[in-house]
Amino acid sequence: MNPYALSIIMSSLAIGTTITLTSSHWLLAWMGLEINTLAMMPLMIKQHHPRATEATTKYFLTQAAASTLILFSTMINAWSTGQWELKELSTLPSNMMTIAIAMKLGLAPMHFWLPEVMQGLNLMTGLILSTWQKIAPMTLMLIIFNTLNVNLLITLGFLSILVGGWSGLNQTQLRKIMAYSSIAHLGWMMAILPFSPALATLNFLLYLIMTSAMFMMMILLNTTKINSLTTTWPKTPIMTSISMLILLSLGGLPPTTGFMPKWMILNELTKQHISTIATMMAISALLSLFFYLRMAYALSMTQSPNQTNSTTTWRHKSKKMTILLTATTTMSIMMLPISPCMTPLY
Amino acid sequence: MAYIIFLGLFGLVFGMIGVASNPSPYYAAFGLVLGAASGCLILSGFGITFLSLILFLIYLGGMMVVFAYSAAMAAEPYPEAWGNMSVVFYVLFYCVVLGMGLGLVDSIDVLSIVGEFSVVRSDWGGVSVLYYSGGWLLLILGWVLLITLFVVLEVTRAVKYGSMCL
Repeated sequence: MNPYALSIIMSSLAIGTTITLTSSHWLLAWMGLEINTLAMMPLMIKQHHPRATEATTKYFLTQAAASTLILFSTMINAWSTGQWELKELSTLPSNMMTIAIAMKLGLAPMHFWLPEVMQGLNLMTGLILSTWQKIAPMTLMLIIFNTLNVNLLITLGFLSILVGGWSGLNQTQLRKIMAYSSIAHLGWMMAILPFSPALATLNFLLYLIMTSAMFMMMILLNTTKINSLTTTWPKTPIMTSISMLILLSLGGLPPTTGFMPKWMILNELTKQHISTIATMMAISALLSLFFYLRMAYALSMTQSPNQTNSTTTWRHKSKKMTILLTATTTMSIMMLPISPCMTPLY
Repeated sequence: MAYIIFLGLFGLVFGMIGVASNPSPYYAAFGLVLGAASGCLILSGFGITFLSLILFLIYLGGMMVVFAYSAAMAAEPYPEAWGNMSVVFYVLFYCVVLGMGLGLVDSIDVLSIVGEFSVVRSDWGGVSVLYYSGGWLLLILGWVLLITLFVVLEVTRAVKYGSMCL
């Protein structure tokens, strides 16, 4: 891509999220989301192969539809209440807004675009799509949480956890698995949002960190399929074994960071006397855990049945910048001990 | 103000005749521009200033593009202006038709334009307040248009070897 165009597009990607985050007027919030969508498309279609074109088209159509729904519901709200303030949504617009933002985020009944779009992108763009592009809509959700319908949010959340785990079971493509993982994680955030937005924020931040770590691991190892995961150990043995821990963290197993949000969310839901939902969520998370475990198994737990002839490949010192990978990996594995610091959140 | 509206109405009729009398696309586009501008003048004369401004900017902006295209695609060595015989014939014909029409409707008094000129109507004025108190919004909107241009160029740039091969 032309560096001038690239610089304009990257700065617009930043500007769009910034405008949405700093706005108190629905029109500006909508405009930031639109700038984000527009700036994302050239990055997606960069390679111009048929699958990238298909992914870009699908992304454009779904995001444009969701944005239109957002604009429509804000206009209905402005019509009936006479103001454009972000936090003053009446019932009908708030339900429409929930559905529109869920479509932008890729939550369960509106999630079908996310895996297919993700599969058509390269890994760096997939990283941007699954982290940076979620920030603006998720922030809108966090701002308007007290006007939203609790039942709708819990339904969306539970469906997302279930569908995210279920659909990821049969996948062999890492990008699709990461898309389903994203759906399941966002489901957890939606389910806790009406009770404790602070915990939803915490879960969102940790989701960003863990997903970034996973994607940057995939970029470093240059792998997009489960069967190529099995041959990554001759490249960087240490990274391979650490990646297994990142996967367990995404699945939410105790000694890693990923356990923290799930633990606190289940705790909070039990305190609110909705232990049925909490139990169902915890059981549905096992579906996600299954495919994380399968990836971890393929990545670093397989062993050759007899003596292996190959050794670690001869290689140069890597020129890739790994500082971000190091930071996010450390944070996504080792942050559970600081969870007592998170108790003031609720 | 009544004279300005008369000027607008006169320009509207004049411009429409200029379009309809089959000159070359060059001059027909000029006629369209004249008609559109006169229409905007009439609207602002009635006090619908914001709509008039929007129409002036968007409609005339589009009109300029149409004009540029038609001039580029239909460049003739000897364009037919309003002075040519065929065009003059049409002009005279339309003027006669319009005069007859005026004669028909003038007696039954449907062309009366009633008062309340030169006030800014509050419903459209409210829309312009959005841009008056939020001038920075215009800057962002301009940036969005620029981004859209870049995105379209970037998406269609590699059409030759991409999957969108036409």
